[in-house]
Parts: sequence; C-alpha cells; structure tokens
Amino acid sequence: MGEMNVIGKRMAMTDARAKVTGLGRYADDLSVPGMLYGRILHSPHPHARIRSVDTLAAEALEGVKAVATGRDAPTPYGILPIGHDERVLALDKARYIGDNVAAVAATSPEIAEEALRLIRVDYEPLPAWFDPLESMKAEENWIHEKRAHNIEKEYHHHFGNVDEGFAQADFVLEDRYYCGEVTHAAMEPHSTLAVWEPNERLTVYSSTQVPFYLHRTLSAVCEMPMSRIRVVKPLVGGGFGGKSEIIPLEVAASVLAKKARRPVKITYTREEVFYAHRGRPITIVDLKLGITKEGRITAAQARIVQDGGAYCGYGPVTVLYSGALLNALYDIPNVKFDGFRVLTNKPACGAMRGHGTVNARFAFESMLDQIAARAGLDPVELRRRNLLKAPCTTPNGLRVTSYGLPECIERVAERSGWAEKRGKLGKGRGIGFACSHYVSGAANPIIRSNMPHTTVNIKIDRDAGITVYSGASEIGQGSDTMHVQIVAEVLGVRPERVNLVAADTELTPVDLGSYSSRVTFMAGNACLNAARNMRAQILGPVARQFDCETDDLEMRDETIVSKNGAGVSMSFDDAVALAMVGEGALVAKGTYAPPEQARGGKFKGAGVGPSPSYSYSAQAVEVKVDRETGQVKVERVVAAHDCGRALNPLTVDGQVQGSVYMGMGQAVQEEMVWREGRLMNPSFLEYRLPTTLETPQIESIIVESIDPEGPFGAKEAGEGSLAAAIPAIANAIYDAVGVRITDVPITPERVLAALRAKEEAEKGGAR
Amino acid sequence: MIPAAFEYFAPKNLDEALRLVERHGDEAKLLAGGHSLLPLMKLRLSAPRYVIDIGRIRALHGVREEDGRLVIGALTTHHDVESSELVRQRCLLLAEAAAEIGDVQVRNRGTVGGSLAHADPAADYPAAMLALEAEIVATSSGGSRAIPAGEFFVDLLTTQLRPDEILTEVRVPVAGRRSGGAYRKLHQPASGFALVGVAARVRLGEGEKIESVAIGMTGVAAHAYRAATAEQALAGKKPGAKLLGEAAGRVTEGVDTLGDMHGSAGYRRAVATVYARRALEAAIARAGGKTA
Repeated sequence: MGEMNVIGKRMAMTDARAKVTGLGRYADDLSVPGMLYGRILHSPHPHARIRSVDTLAAEALEGVKAVATGRDAPTPYGILPIGHDERVLALDKARYIGDNVAAVAATSPEIAEEALRLIRVDYEPLPAWFDPLESMKAEENWIHEKRAHNIEKEYHHHFGNVDEGFAQADFVLEDRYYCGEVTHAAMEPHSTLAVWEPNERLTVYSSTQVPFYLHRTLSAVCEMPMSRIRVVKPLVGGGFGGKSEIIPLEVAASVLAKKARRPVKITYTREEVFYAHRGRPITIVDLKLGITKEGRITAAQARIVQDGGAYCGYGPVTVLYSGALLNALYDIPNVKFDGFRVLTNKPACGAMRGHGTVNARFAFESMLDQIAARAGLDPVELRRRNLLKAPCTTPNGLRVTSYGLPECIERVAERSGWAEKRGKLGKGRGIGFACSHYVSGAANPIIRSNMPHTTVNIKIDRDAGITVYSGASEIGQGSDTMHVQIVAEVLGVRPERVNLVAADTELTPVDLGSYSSRVTFMAGNACLNAARNMRAQILGPVARQFDCETDDLEMRDETIVSKNGAGVSMSFDDAVALAMVGEGALVAKGTYAPPEQARGGKFKGAGVGPSPSYSYSAQAVEVKVDRETGQVKVERVVAAHDCGRALNPLTVDGQVQGSVYMGMGQAVQEEMVWREGRLMNPSFLEYRLPTTLETPQIESIIVESIDPEGPFGAKEAGEGSLAAAIPAIANAIYDAVGVRITDVPITPERVLAALRAKEEAEKGGAR
Repeated sequence: MIPAAFEYFAPKNLDEALRLVERHGDEAKLLAGGHSLLPLMKLRLSAPRYVIDIGRIRALHGVREEDGRLVIGALTTHHDVESSELVRQRCLLLAEAAAEIGDVQVRNRGTVGGSLAHADPAADYPAAMLALEAEIVATSSGGSRAIPAGEFFVDLLTTQLRPDEILTEVRVPVAGRRSGGAYRKLHQPASGFALVGVAARVRLGEGEKIESVAIGMTGVAAHAYRAATAEQALAGKKPGAKLLGEAAGRVTEGVDTLGDMHGSAGYRRAVATVYARRALEAAIARAGGKTA
C-alpha cells in the first residue's frame, strides 16, 4: 500500500458544520403539514394485570385524532428472534413502572397530554420482583409465564479444566463484584416522526441505530409488507446502544399514524428516555482466579448474574458477551462461565457501549491487581506475562488476527510513568492500570442468514460527482466520514467530490446497523469493495486507450497517471466521461460478510463473541483521594487503543476520550437508583452524569496493529477503551489509599466507609 | 413536561407587582430567574393559577453599600454577586457562595431573592445569609419589614414570607477589621446543589481569641440552620487544630439530618464536620489577614 492521501489523515466529520451551527436536523426538528403529536400512557405499577382500558373520554376530547391500545397492535416483537416478548402497548400485563399501556395522537402536545389523563385503566396489581437474586428463586408470579423462575436465559460454558487449572495455581483468589445500573444518557432524546403517505405507504423518520431492524419490526407490527414502509434515519444525537433496539415510541407513532391516517410525531421527555432505558444491567460477578508464582494465569471462573428488567431485549447477548470476552484478552488455558439473565419488574436493560463486557472486565482487572499484590508482582508485569501469542484461536473459539495489546501496555506504562509513580505518588494519590478489548462487529448476524451484513453502492454520472449509498447509521461515531474517506482514497479524489446517502431504506442497501462496533469493519469493507469495483470500471477504458494494464495506473490528486510516470495522465472527469461511453452512469457494488472461520464454535451460545477482529486497550489512571470525605478525583488518564489502522485519527482520539469519559462516569458517579421499581433519578439533575468539569486530561495513544482483514487494516475504536477505565480507577484508588472497592459506582461514601473499616482493622491489629 | 395552564403578569414596577400579589397572592407564584419555579411547573409539582414575572422591575436589581451594609436587590443574579467587586471586597464569603451555585447558565439567570424565597434545603445562599446575620426585606403594599435570616427559614421550602409579600432586598452587615469569612461546599455533581455547604464567619479579638463566630449550614437538614453548639464551643477561645476539630464535630448536633441517594444522613454528618473545619480554618486565616 503506497502513501495515502485521505486515509490516516485527521479529517473533520462531514456533518460537523451542520451540528455546530445548529442547522443539522434531528428527528424532533422535522415536521410536516398536518402533523399530530403523540404521547404514551405509562403504567404506574411495576407488575399488574390489565383488566380493561377505557379510552372513550380521551377519544371524545376535541383535537384527539387517534387512541391506540394493545389491541391495535397485538403482534409481539423483540430485537432477538428468540425474544419476541414485547408488545408496543401492553395487552394483558404491565411489567414495569413505565410500561406502555396506551397512546394518543392529537393536534397539539397539550391536548395529547390532557387526553392521557382521560384514559381509565383498571389494573390488578401483582406481586413484583425487584432484586435479581430473589427473582431467580421465584416459584410463582413469574413475569413472563414461559420464563420459569424469572430466568430469561442461562448459559454454562467450560473450556479446558478449571479444577486442574486451580490445582496448578500457587495463588487462588475469589471475590464478589457488584456493578450498579447505568444508562446511555444520549443528549438527543428519542424521537420518531411517522408519516402515513397518501399512497398508503408509511415513512418513518427515527432516532435509531438500526433502521433495518426497525423496518422489519414495523412491517410485522403494522401488518404491512416491508416494501411499503420506508425508514429514514436523520441526524442522531448519540446512541451508545440506547437506540439499537426497537424503542416503543417508534412503533407507537407508526401505529397511531396508520390509525389516524396522518403524520404523528412522538418525542420522549427525558424521564421517558430514562424509563425506555436498555442500558447496562446491575451485574453481580463472582470471580475466581488462579496464578502460578511466576504470574501465569492457570484458570478463571466466573458466575455472572445480570438484572435484565422486564423484557428480553438483547439480554441473552449481553450475558453471553460477559462470558465470551473473559477470553481473547489474555492467554487463559482454563475458563468456566455460568451466566444468568434474570427478569425483574424494571425497564429492560440492553446494549450499552462495551456491551456485556464492561462489568466482567471491571471484576477481572480488579482481581488481577488483587492477586498481583498477593503474589508480590507488579500489576503491569502480571499482564505482560499472560499475553496471547497471536494470531491464534482461543479455547472458546475466538479468532485473534491482530493483537496490539503488548504495544498498548508498553506505551501506556512509558507515557504514564508507571514504574516511577506506582506506590510513590504520595499521600492520597495513586496510579492504576487496566486493559480491555472489544469486538469489531459480530461475526454472526442477529437474524441468521447467509446474506452479506452490508452492501454499499456507488454511482457516478455525468456530473462526475461520486454518490455513495450505504445503509450504515451515523450516530456521531464517524460512519459517514469513514465512507467518504475510503471512497476518496481509492478513487484518488478530494473528499468534497464524494457525497453520501445513508440510512434510508428506500435508497440505500441494507446494513445491519450501528452496534457492536461493526460499521468501520463491515460497512467499511463493503465500501472499499464497491470503490475498488468502481475503480476498475474507470481504469479499464483508460488502460485500453493508452494500451497499458490497469495495474500500471494509479488514481491520485483527481487524475489517472502511470505508476512509473510514463505517459498516461487524464483528469478524473475525463476518465469518467470515457468510462460512460456506451455504458451510461457508472454503478458499482460492494459487500461484506465475515469469513466462515471467524464465526466461532458450535456449542450453545457460541454465536456471541466471535468477531472478524478485536480491538485492544490499555490505560493508566491517576487519582487523588480525599481521605476525610472519600471524594475521588480522576486527574489524568493515559489510554492506548489498538484500532488496527486509524482511518481518521481525529475521530479515533474522540472515541477513545469519549469511552474513557463514559467509563469514568460509571466508575465514580453514575447509577440508576431504584425503589420498588421506581427510578429515583430520571433526570440530569439527579443522575450524576459527569460534565467537562469532572473530566480529566485524557491522553490518547493510537496503536496501529494493521488487521489483515480490516479495511486498510482498521478495526474497532468506539467502545473498547471504556471497560479499562473502571478497573484502572479502582486500582488507582487502591494505590492511593490502600482500600479495594469492589462495588461500582465507587462513591465517596463507599470509599469513606472502606477507609474507616481499614483504620478500625489496623487499630485492632495494633492492639 | 408541559405546565398546567396559568395566567401571566409582567408588572413594570414594584407598586404594580404589590397590587398583583395582594389580589392573587394565595394562588400566585413570583417568577424571577425561573430556575426553581419553571422545572417544578413543568413537572406539575407546582401548578399556580397566576405567574407574576417580576423580572422587569429594574429597582430590584443591583448591589450597593449603605450605612455599613451591603444592600442586594432581590433580582441580582448569582453571577452579578459573584463578580461584584464590592461584594468581593466587603464580603468574600458571599461572593464565594454565589460562585459555587449550579453552573454558569444557572448563575446567569438565577437570583438572590428567588433562591432565598424558594428555600431549597440544599441552596447555598441560606447558609451564607445565616452566617452573615443578614436581614431579608419583605415588602407588601402595607410597607416593608426586615426579617433576620435566623428567623426567615422555617422548614423545607418554607419561609416567613406571606403570600402578599415580595422579597425585595437583602441587607448584609459589612464586617469590620479582624474578621474573615469563607464558604466551603461539597457539590452533588449532577445538580450542583450542596450535599453539604458551610458558611463560616469569624472575628478575632484580643490575644487572637475568637470574639465572635457564626456558622451557617446547608444541605444537611430540611432547612439551613446555625450550628449553635459548635459556635458556643469556639467563642472566646484561641483557635487551634484540636479546638476546631472538636467544634466542627458538633455542627450536626441535635439536627435531623437528611439522607438521599446522593449521600446518606451518616455520610452528610461526616462530611459536614470536615467541611465545617475547612471553612473555619479559611475564615480564621482570613480574619488574621492571611489568604485562604
């Protein structure tokens, strides 16, 4: 690969101007003539049978154009084929406070709000389940009758032999880790505009990460063929997983639009966003780890219980990720995993940045430091002694093709001053280290098929402009810019010549969506293939005219020239005009499907975890702890991320910093607080999201392992750095004040309690 | 997030406003910066029939010095208090408290009078006004009365103000020589409200002994209060680490401490002690002419 002109350069995102000037249009900015305003009635009970819903008074209110209940859309759905347990509006039971019971569309938001007050629902409250460990013992009053003991799914995996592994260990440690529930807190609340078209078609503009799955679900629930539904994703103001399932308002707006035969817009209030949720579940990790005195890990065993809330959602995938990615970071010969996804009467959890891996990684990286202390080893050294020998396949069938972790570790250790600082920063100050990794997309699609995961089309017509059609969803992560860069690089043109049409099911081929960090790898590869195809179409006629081989030619600086400088020089415009002779507009297609050997093993649950490639991260964090109050201040973070090749270092830096920030929020501040199924903090006044004021200096280091299968060698950048932030902070606190906090968030109160307990213990010891 | 319907008035002067509160006071809310009232109305926790927007009454804006007191108009924003050279010179404690409120946007809109009248248990000004022994002036069409800060705060979100009164200004005595004050606060990180806020004011006398001391506490109980037993422990004594530690340990004595998801009652008591000691240390240093 020669020198590149666009790839690897720091390029501002293509939508940046629209966003910073306020001219960008998000779903809630859209309106059409005759548009109605929709609102949803939510259950005040965590678990209740619905005896009846009386909507007569609401329907009679002037300005109300449609009222919908469960009977209007009884088809169940869910993001996973094995989990179709939701209805847009409850039919028989409400399963959490906030569950959707009825919906109205009216000529003004005020009338819609008033109409909700007129709906009479006769509830019969049922005993409810809030604690996952209690819920999984339930003998009756199951949340879904078909899910015995409120266990949505359980998985039991064993690779190698952990009993033998622990027998070989010189040090064995067991501990329990608890992570509270956190949510995405995207700046943009969910919003959907569903337009019933005069020709009996439905067009839906929605804040989604997954237009294709929304398309399918709307077809099923609205009982219309997909060919009569169009889903368009406008600008999305942050997803982080919270828009990667079908969110009730998307279906409710569509059902109302169809019923009223009018356009209907629903935008959630912030409180509704919190209750729509689908975030990271409460997780209880019982972890056991064995190492030899030389520091080799001999076995790891984890029992993981996730509090999934009232519906399946992505649940089985979340719990499987927590087990599968115990592997593929370090070389661990024996691994046992028992995972439980438990139902409770709270909003459903789902995918959130670092899906499934984050809380298990917190436990693992914390325990690595605990066991290193026991064995008298430097924590970084312990990690060095357990590196994979890539390329390799892990015992659970994950194929590691590129592995920048060693370089991440060394560069972070060096930049952070690890060796000089650990244990030496002085009173109340400490440094901590941790690693993490993540998938570059799932090798197996959610809905099993042998079709490619992405198709990208490129069209060039007489204006010599290049239009790229991709179903991939820009959610702020740089998807659109990535497409433009790849095409501009391959065709040797300025990025300004490339226009992208994205995420519109009428115009763009299917892409599965923006989740599991799949877009750069998968849509990027499809885009690369399409661009190469287009390149061949342009170069063929040029080569014929100059009587040379296409391999002799290159495209750069908007011209076609000979590689050896001999003779050929033609402008891009002329070359395109030449190629169109007898052909008309040039159209090219590219696809991507993960290779068979990347798709993992054959055991139950083997489908989750395999990816065509994995990203790697290492982080060092410095903290200051106020011993009198337990306040933790994160002062500096050095984060290295192996993203294969950084297609756009500017956005990679941004993604790493965003991941660290989000991890830090979970580590020390954020938690959804529940009381009997009611969320106590459904607002940004109470949900403790960090702001720039609490965010430290984050120094990102890009490590480029150049993946053999990634587009230009690229892989995941948007999620993998998150998981390391939490244990790195916990480890830094231990270095600072000698207390090990195993519960997240690491609140000042928890730190202070631990400090006092330590003082007491030391006093007791002195006596 | 849609408030219940209400009737809106925007009086141009105080007389007009006073006539409106006299007529509608029981069913009205006064709108100043709106940072407390509007969220409550949007959540329908408050549904006043009338909203009287006093924001256009120019006479209620600004800070001046008069007879050895700072007089602060009710509509003076937190930002104006924080950045007023007069306040910084005469009463650093108050400027410090203002600077710790919410965030820049809140400080640009929120007002002294609005904050005091709302009497949020975690607001910053109440602690400051208690420590400063300020007077809060309430005006009705019948005239004005000055309410000592120590009597003003009655309970959670409840003050001495009557429905027909408007809080028009605050009078803060300017401390003399050998005096110092400081405000120290632990923020609830999302809202910026005080988990614990401590305002301490100290005057040193003969032999470097504490001649007078006032400690205002916020965030800890249903309303702001003076930490009387801690003050008694300090009065007339020469400050030292041991004394300050002991006195600070008493700031929540006899107080029904609040606890919530941001900090249990026990945690608040623990940090109240720490922050009280830090505020006292800073106030004493300043009284002694040192910067702190």
